[in-house]
Amino acid sequence: MTRRHYNKMAAAIVLILAFGLPLVVRSATYLHILVLLYFYAYLTTSWNLVGGFAGVLPLGHAAFVGIGAYTSTILYLQYGISPWIGMLVGGVLASFVGVLIGLPTFKMRGAYFALATLAFAEGIRVMVENIDRLGPFVLNGPRGLQIPPLKLGLGNLVFASKEPYYYIILLMLLAVLALTWVIARSKLGYYLNAGGEEPDAAMALGVNVARSKLTAMAMSSFLTALAGAFYAQFTLYIHPKSVISLDLSFEIAFIALIGGRGSIAGPVLGALLLRPVSDFSRIYFGDTLPGLHLVIFGVVLILVMIFQPRGLQEPLTRAYNRLLDRLAPGQTKELGT
Amino acid sequence: MNILEVKELGKDFGGLTALQGVHLSIEAGRIFGLIGPNGAGKSTAFNCIAGVYAPTRGEIRFNGEVINGQKPWNLCKKGLARTFQIVKPFASKTVLYNVMVGSFLHTNSTREARRRALEVLEFLHFAGKAHMRAGDLTIADRKRLEIARALATRPKLLLLDEVMAGLRPAEVDQMVEIIRRLRDQGITIFVIEHIMRAIMALSDRVAVLHFGKKIAEGTPQEVASDERVIKAYLGEEYVVSGS
Ligand SMILES: Nc1ncnc2c1ncn2[C@@H]1O[C@H](COP(=O)(O)OP(=O)(O)O)[C@@H](O)[C@H]1O
Ligand SMILES: [Mg+2]
Repeated sequence: MTRRHYNKMAAAIVLILAFGLPLVVRSATYLHILVLLYFYAYLTTSWNLVGGFAGVLPLGHAAFVGIGAYTSTILYLQYGISPWIGMLVGGVLASFVGVLIGLPTFKMRGAYFALATLAFAEGIRVMVENIDRLGPFVLNGPRGLQIPPLKLGLGNLVFASKEPYYYIILLMLLAVLALTWVIARSKLGYYLNAGGEEPDAAMALGVNVARSKLTAMAMSSFLTALAGAFYAQFTLYIHPKSVISLDLSFEIAFIALIGGRGSIAGPVLGALLLRPVSDFSRIYFGDTLPGLHLVIFGVVLILVMIFQPRGLQEPLTRAYNRLLDRLAPGQTKELGT
Repeated sequence: MNILEVKELGKDFGGLTALQGVHLSIEAGRIFGLIGPNGAGKSTAFNCIAGVYAPTRGEIRFNGEVINGQKPWNLCKKGLARTFQIVKPFASKTVLYNVMVGSFLHTNSTREARRRALEVLEFLHFAGKAHMRAGDLTIADRKRLEIARALATRPKLLLLDEVMAGLRPAEVDQMVEIIRRLRDQGITIFVIEHIMRAIMALSDRVAVLHFGKKIAEGTPQEVASDERVIKAYLGEEYVVSGS
């Protein structure tokens, strides 16, 4: 067997496991945890288009989750528009806002960019918290919006059990991973990486660095908002602190940095590792030590940055390649990147 | 025909005048050398021409068009490429990846970009290292990578900023050979160099910068025997005073 065969086999095993899991895991609590795990893996993968490939550190992606969640929910509650359509409208709106945020901030470097995006997102949260009505749209300020689970079904994206949500977010995750894979191998991917690593050299080679970053930002915020709409339909209740919170923005960045930003596997690995920590610390210490998970993330992040600055995907990828060397010796691995 | 025409070029950094009243004309298809002591303003001149800095004074024409203050990526699309004195590889990526960033300028297809990048690497006898990480290359190879990337954008005019600095003599000879072959391909070369031997062997014409001003220009022989040039390079005390 060749490396390619082994790769395909590994992918097939992962897919079978992922699709078969709900047949084994019957507990609603565990399914809920898994849905959120995929949700975060999806968010981080979307974030990675900017935060990984373009080499900047956005800390305000919760704003796009919020835009997606609020747009689809308002359209659904007030106008009866299917959340699937609301999802797309939210995506377009978010990419518009993403470009608006990116225009002035992509010229900043390092910490300034991170702080600027964080400030934008916080600004949006505070505004939503203080607005009950925005023109014809009811936002309900800090109280948020509730979706009554009356009309069930795929068209309304409301289900009585967790399984449908599980499969929907799994498919969304696979789609965004595939998209990332394609982009990484496209001109845009090369331009983003080049501009992130050595902007002056990239510009000298004909790369309009700011424009490729804006393109990535538009895509990233669009994709992020789709997950926001999904989240609203999944929890049936959104409020500013749940969908536009700093916590959410930080957790995405933590997952990316610990898993390995700029790689395709990194966000998924990071979510696999950190989400259980997050959920179990909330279940067991939620009352006594709220926010404990962020402290644990901080410690893990420090350790990872010291020992594996490129994230956990690096040693794992190396181990996987060594295993393949054993199984299919003498074959060169995929080259070109 | 002159592919590059620089008139009265001046550049200030705050109070410091890095360039003052510089005139240059470069004929298409030639190799033009620019020399001068450290800090003379050579790299600054390149940065003005390549669009990194907008000139404070003067006019730069490329192919007849005034290009003052145009962005580097647009100039690159017009056929003006450059290398950096302090090399700037995409260090975590392979040599091939680095060169593909350049060859994507004229194609949207990854396969086509890879094909063209490999062509460039072949041309530079560099294909054997295509899959090495750029960060692991030797200095000589990093300089070669700078040229390979720039070449992949298919330039008409190529600015080379000290691509021989830090190379061993044998590597310098290779580099001279490479630059000649580029010229033979029809690319106009504007080269900054410190190594006199190399610039003398290569250039059709040479200009000399000193404290931001052009103090001499001519054939390599004319420049080498110019008293002001010897003074600039060796200092006043080395020149036998005539009177
Ligand atoms: N970005 C900059 N900001 C301020 N001063 C600069 C800058 N770039 C170059 N200089 C100054 O301009 C002068 C010319 O530098 P440079 O063009 O690099 O010289 P050369 O390439 O001939 O060695 C030097 O005095 C240098 O310190
Ligand atoms: Mg210099």
